[in-house]
Amino acid sequence: MTVQVQLVLQALLRDPAKEMYGLELSEETGLQPGTAYPILLRLEHEGWVTSRWEDVNPRAEKRPARRYYRLTAGGAVQASAALAGARRPKGAALRRLAQGDGAA
Amino acid sequence: MMPAIDPRYDARKKRARVAMFITAGATVASSALDGTRLSGWQWAPWVLGLCLIIAFCAISMNSGGGLRTRRGMSGMSGMSGLSGRGWGAGDRPDGRMAHRWHGLVMVSRMMPGPAGRRWLAEAESVLWEIPAARRATAVRSYLLSGPRLAAVMWAHEGLRWARPGPRHPR
Repeated sequence: MTVQVQLVLQALLRDPAKEMYGLELSEETGLQPGTAYPILLRLEHEGWVTSRWEDVNPRAEKRPARRYYRLTAGGAVQASAALAGARRPKGAALRRLAQGDGAA
Repeated sequence: MMPAIDPRYDARKKRARVAMFITAGATVASSALDGTRLSGWQWAPWVLGLCLIIAFCAISMNSGGGLRTRRGMSGMSGMSGLSGRGWGAGDRPDGRMAHRWHGLVMVSRMMPGPAGRRWLAEAESVLWEIPAARRATAVRSYLLSGPRLAAVMWAHEGLRWARPGPRHPR
């Protein structure tokens, strides 16, 4: 499991019931949104994450609808187990990611 | 809800399609009739010219109006268009940003239809809210990850079709 996937899972696991949208996840993990999206998509294909479009009127909100992501019940269990088994990313790696988004 | 449609868009799209049909037809016909006379590298200018014309037509379909008139964008309900009317007065992208936005549209078209629409809609949603100082970097990250994602999505699409049994709904 890559460091980026671990960061995304950690962010989602902080409150598994909470839905997070792309920008929120990006800020939480320090990853660029373009990097986080493929990870979320992969997790969704695996059934770990579920997503939905926000049900708002974009004109009233004056912004486009957000896509919200949330861990599924099974996904939360699997993510916890996977993170426990994964090698913890070193502080330097996390700082590098936060500064320059190593994968972007 | 249907997004608002720029009335000029349909005409422009129609013109671009007609131009592409004419070009493709003319190329096929000329190749069939004169193909045998082309020797060595003489076909190269034809191919290059065709590519340029197709690129020009594709760009003309993208120009003006922004994403508000693009395919899908069902989640946006007419609010979309980072390079169009959706921007606030002080938020309008400069030339380079608009160019990169067109790049995002092109990358989304490399992906299977629904997946490309979703990717683009989500990119727009994020880029809309991201602070202006970070927007260019975010667009770049989408542009860099897009082609690889397109390859993965096509692989998924291929596997989905190759798998026996009933198709999964999209």
